[in-house]
Amino acid sequence: MGVRSRAAAAILSEAGFKEVYSMKGGINAWEGKVAEGVPEAGMAYFSSAVQPEELLGLAWLLEDGSRKFYTELSSLSKDMEAVALFQELSKAEEKHQASLVSLYKELSGRPFDSEFPKNLIREDPSDERMEGGMLLREALQWAEKKAIKEILELSVSLESNAYDVYLKMERKMEPENAKKVFKVLSAEEKQHLEQLTSFLEKKL
Amino acid sequence: MGISDYFKPVPSWSAEEVRTFLNEKGPEKYNLVDVRQPKEYEQGHLPGAQLIPLGELANRVKELDPNKPTIAY
Repeated sequence: MGVRSRAAAAILSEAGFKEVYSMKGGINAWEGKVAEGVPEAGMAYFSSAVQPEELLGLAWLLEDGSRKFYTELSSLSKDMEAVALFQELSKAEEKHQASLVSLYKELSGRPFDSEFPKNLIREDPSDERMEGGMLLREALQWAEKKAIKEILELSVSLESNAYDVYLKMERKMEPENAKKVFKVLSAEEKQHLEQLTSFLEKKL
Repeated sequence: MGISDYFKPVPSWSAEEVRTFLNEKGPEKYNLVDVRQPKEYEQGHLPGAQLIPLGELANRVKELDPNKPTIAY
């Protein structure tokens, strides 16, 4: 597969590892089997010099991408357990977006800014991305023809990147209220990650 | 800035490139990390690979030396 390895490589690069590679095609390619591609763009990482407010805007947009992905998956999937989980994840991402908006209001000291996050980051409908940087439309196209196991592998990758990013924000952000918000967000992403991995284990 | 400006692609190697690299270097020269689930690792893995499931990686980064070339699969 290689989708998880790219998420891993992104996490390691961000952690300061000097030279990181993800192996294309994963174990299948190693064993000489034909490996199917995964959505090409993405599984990359945050550039480092980003202002806190900008980071909130970016996080909001990525949550939005993941939320749409999970919403779509919940209507595509035929597995009832999967439908319930994807619905839950989609609702959780929505809640995260609300937390990010209220933190933005607190930090910027401005009254509600309906322009958030457009005032910080240019939005382009053809460039909607999910946590980890993967393009939403590519991921959705890919997911249409895939079995639940592979979709779960991709979801684990999304949540791993989200978890990693929020852990980092929690460490990096100075204001106490920001630290608190990111602590809650990272704890929730960790929980999603556990739900998704145990579901994936069942499908292996 | 647009959203894509915040992301950089992660370098990747083909299985052949990884094989060549592993053949040339001793195991003390690199990190080789299997980020799949334990069940998948047990069914077969690359020689000498260390298992760190992706979901645990963010918390277990310290187990790896950041100065060595690192291959994830």
